[in-house]
Amino acid sequence: MSALVDLVLGIVTSIGGFVEAGSISTAAQAGSEFGYQLLWAVAVATLMVAMLIEMSGRLAAVSKRPLAAAVRERFGIHFQIVPLAAEMVIDVLLLAAEIGGVAIAVKLVTGAGFVRWILPIGGAVWIVLWLFGFGVIEYGIGLLGLVTLSFVVSAWMLKPDYADVARSLVPSLPHDDYLRYAFLAVTIIGATVSPYLLNFYSSGTVEEKLTEDKLWINTATAYAGMCFGGVVSMGVLVTSALTLGPRQIVVDSYEQAALMFVQPYGHYAIPLFAMALGVGCFGAAVELSLNSGYVAAQVFGWSWGADKARTEAARFTAAFTIVLVTALVLGVIGFDPLRLTLLSVALTVVIMPAVVLPFLVLMNDPKYVKQHTSGAVGNALLAALTILGGLLALVVVPLEIFGG
Amino acid sequence: MDLVRDLLDKKVVDRNGREMGRVDRIVLDVREGAPPRVAALEIGPSALAARLGARLGRWAAAIEHGFGLDAGRPVRIAIDEVLDVHDHVRIDRAAGETPALEVEQRARRWVASIPGS
Repeated sequence: MSALVDLVLGIVTSIGGFVEAGSISTAAQAGSEFGYQLLWAVAVATLMVAMLIEMSGRLAAVSKRPLAAAVRERFGIHFQIVPLAAEMVIDVLLLAAEIGGVAIAVKLVTGAGFVRWILPIGGAVWIVLWLFGFGVIEYGIGLLGLVTLSFVVSAWMLKPDYADVARSLVPSLPHDDYLRYAFLAVTIIGATVSPYLLNFYSSGTVEEKLTEDKLWINTATAYAGMCFGGVVSMGVLVTSALTLGPRQIVVDSYEQAALMFVQPYGHYAIPLFAMALGVGCFGAAVELSLNSGYVAAQVFGWSWGADKARTEAARFTAAFTIVLVTALVLGVIGFDPLRLTLLSVALTVVIMPAVVLPFLVLMNDPKYVKQHTSGAVGNALLAALTILGGLLALVVVPLEIFGG
Repeated sequence: MDLVRDLLDKKVVDRNGREMGRVDRIVLDVREGAPPRVAALEIGPSALAARLGARLGRWAAAIEHGFGLDAGRPVRIAIDEVLDVHDHVRIDRAAGETPALEVEQRARRWVASIPGS
């Protein structure tokens, strides 16, 4: 019975925690510019993240090590330092972007400039991390995040042509603007398959003391939770395609993205969009901060854990505080949150092979996962998608960002 | 035992199971006419940084010195103090007897001064 409760709670929180600044902005842009055509990218990204999340839970449950610790032990600091440093930089950028997303949400409701909200929001993130243990943080974020289901409801209310939607799950080439199309595909993948999620999930598996004999819970939660979560992202894309696309509204700010709710929700559009954006981004900000503490502590061998008294894991507490403060400084300088989001998710795809390929090696090493090694098909698929994505990103990201 | 695979970068715990850090560097005793022998393990950011580059190691040591953290660091654990090497490297010392947790203790004083801790 308790296993079933764990399972349902795990799936529900995965759905509620799925969309945040990255997935909302990339799906909104894709929908407004290319209709349903990029839905396949959301599907591919969702499959990738489900496979990777399942792996990171399996690694943690069997080896009792979260990802960052296992990578250091298996590959050593020489190998780890470059992807680790890159990941930390991207995490800080993304954290600043998520806090910016919450600030925009507050601005949408109150009308007052967004920069002034950055510090209070950062304070609120820190207080959540200071006061609560892992369970409250994880389930709280997930349950509140269910407000993001409003993207699925809006898509349903707009009565899309489901045959068209289904056809878009097969990749196709656009009529023109190949570069923009490829760039959006890359950002959708980067927004969905964030390296921080992998380490966060594996740390959570250790925090929740999931054991090897309950691996089926991990598998079911990862696949069901992520696939339903992917449906929320698709809801954003479809809603945007049906509302912003026909009116030629280009999403170059979150305020523009908010307009996608006007047709389905009328008067409630702006507050509802603000709530979905704000809660999604706030949850991601809490997870990103916590994850920076996890990674630092695991790489250097410190005591860590959101369920420990903060004084019992003082360097872990200091690490997430320092990272949060750094991101707040970036936020206060006033970078545009949407640009910051797109930059960090695009860079994510560039470094993804350096994160995923060693992870695959770990998942095929019986010293870490015993007999629970990954299958050949999964290995090949993930390796191919990651390398392809990385190469594509290397080409299109500089062209899109510097080529104007 | 493969030193790099089985010892280097593993987590070090004291005799009470308390985390002390990771094996950041291995000290070898090179003897004439005999194979080299592991003399000790080192734990600490300056040892870790030195593995990445001599200059980085000097910088890390200078930063530790600047904060008054250099006494007895990096922490050196003689090989005969190692109890066993399984999941972690367990050593026959108490973390508190060494300067390994100096930064943790300073951070704890800071954390403890925050209301509600």
